Amino acid sequence: MTDVERLFRTYNAALVRYLTRRLGDRDWAEEVAQETFVRALRQTSIQNERAWLFAVATNLVRDEARKDSRRRKHLALLAEQERDSVVEPEETGLERAQEAAMARKAVDALAERDRLALLMREEGLDYSEIAEALQLSPGSVGTTLSRARRRLVESYEALQKDREAREKHAAS
Amino acid sequence: MQHPDEGTIHAWLDGALTADEAAQIEAHVKSCPECAAAVAEARGFIAASSRILTALDNAPRGVIPTTAPVKRRFDPMAWRIAASVLVIAGGTFLVVRNQGTREASAPARSLTLDTSSSVAAFNAVVESTQTAATASVPPAALSSPAGAPGRRGAAKSSGAATGSAAPSVSTVNQPDLSTQAVTAMESRAPTAQKTAMPTAGARDDNVIAAAAPAATMRFVPSANGAAGAVAAEDRAVGPTEPLKVIGSPRRLGAKVTVYEIAGDTVTLTESMQLQLQSVVVTGVATARVQGEKAAAARTNSAEPAPQTPTVAGGSASLPAPPAAPTSAPVPAPVHDALHPDDPNAVHTITWVDPVTRNTMALSGRMSEARLQLIRARIESERAAAKKTP
Repeated sequence: MTDVERLFRTYNAALVRYLTRRLGDRDWAEEVAQETFVRALRQTSIQNERAWLFAVATNLVRDEARKDSRRRKHLALLAEQERDSVVEPEETGLERAQEAAMARKAVDALAERDRLALLMREEGLDYSEIAEALQLSPGSVGTTLSRARRRLVESYEALQKDREAREKHAAS
Repeated sequence: MQHPDEGTIHAWLDGALTADEAAQIEAHVKSCPECAAAVAEARGFIAASSRILTALDNAPRGVIPTTAPVKRRFDPMAWRIAASVLVIAGGTFLVVRNQGTREASAPARSLTLDTSSSVAAFNAVVESTQTAATASVPPAALSSPAGAPGRRGAAKSSGAATGSAAPSVSTVNQPDLSTQAVTAMESRAPTAQKTAMPTAGARDDNVIAAAAPAATMRFVPSANGAAGAVAAEDRAVGPTEPLKVIGSPRRLGAKVTVYEIAGDTVTLTESMQLQLQSVVVTGVATARVQGEKAAAARTNSAEPAPQTPTVAGGSASLPAPPAAPTSAPVPAPVHDALHPDDPNAVHTITWVDPVTRNTMALSGRMSEARLQLIRARIESERAAAKKTP
């Protein structure tokens, strides 16, 4: 097994999940992940593989040219989710779609660094890897993560309350 | 120990602290309810944010802002338009094809019964629908009352609302039409019929011979003998052969109806005065007017019909039959040599409608005699259609 194959088998699932959560589009996430592994091929040596892969993937996402074209699609996705949440007839489907839309809104409301740190942590990166990938001081990762988690949960709960209020208003 | 900040608590819970740091925090939290509460809250945030982020994993693939697949209900109007285009195109093709050959070969063969134009048509038409309806009762309708019941000649096809044009016969399929045809011929050429037809209806070829002797000469067959050919042609428009309207392509200033009978196609062209009213007429109006006409026809059916071509046309509409064809309906083979025309060539007969004074032309790839027979049948069916709208 070549080195890239090993890298792929070890990290692809986490990287794609991280990117999917980051981007809201699985195809795009897989695309970026593949590009990340292609970049890894060109590297002679990588000190911290996971940190390097997540950092490269994050930088690829940051590529403004790509971002712009994709951002529109992302917005289209959001619009579609909103539509779906309105018209979806099935209760479970409606619940799931609404949860996804709210999660997306809450995640998007985070600051970019907080969001990336949180997503990386969710994929099992330790504090030093997150610090390396995001070029943070290792001591600030805890603060970044705690802030990201609190804000994420708070905005999500706020969205949930809004929704419940709307539903109550609609029912009455 | 100082109260640990939130970041440190998260780091501790994430296992990011050194063993020493972790031990200190652990000891403090045990003794500090405030920090214990903070730790509990941090655990809640960690778990909740993980759950929230999991909701993002159902991201769809290929979120390309595709234009939503618009569910198209095909506009029924579009079907109607498409069908109309198809019918008109097909009819036009047939007419153009028939006319192309007719114009090439017609002049020599055309049996013109009345060449007067339809100049007076406009005045006659405008007078009133009632008058036109009364006058337009064709002979066949009057002479064969037995043919009326059960007829479903639909008076729905194209026609002039002014009453100038007789209604097209659409999808009429009656078994007793041969008799009708004979009767029509009788009334059209009474003298000929008297001499030529001792037994009306028994020998239709006699009528043909009487009505159009010149044409009779022409459709002499080559192999089977004249009698067989006449009989065959007779059968072709016999009672069982349906006369179908297969199209009525629009043409300015004329009403064209394409009939199909026994696999042959004939085109009836009715030239009329161009008037806007008759061009823009709708089917509803036509049906209504024809209904009125039919009603008028019923009330006036007792009147004798003064509209035989002979009377109305003024000119010799049907030539008096010579004695020879009546006694010898089978033309002599010598005529075959004199008239080597292909009986399948396109022939045209023209006459003037006695009522509307429109010039009628019936053309088809068949002998003129047969065209006459078909003409009789068309007229009888039109009469039937008028009688029972």
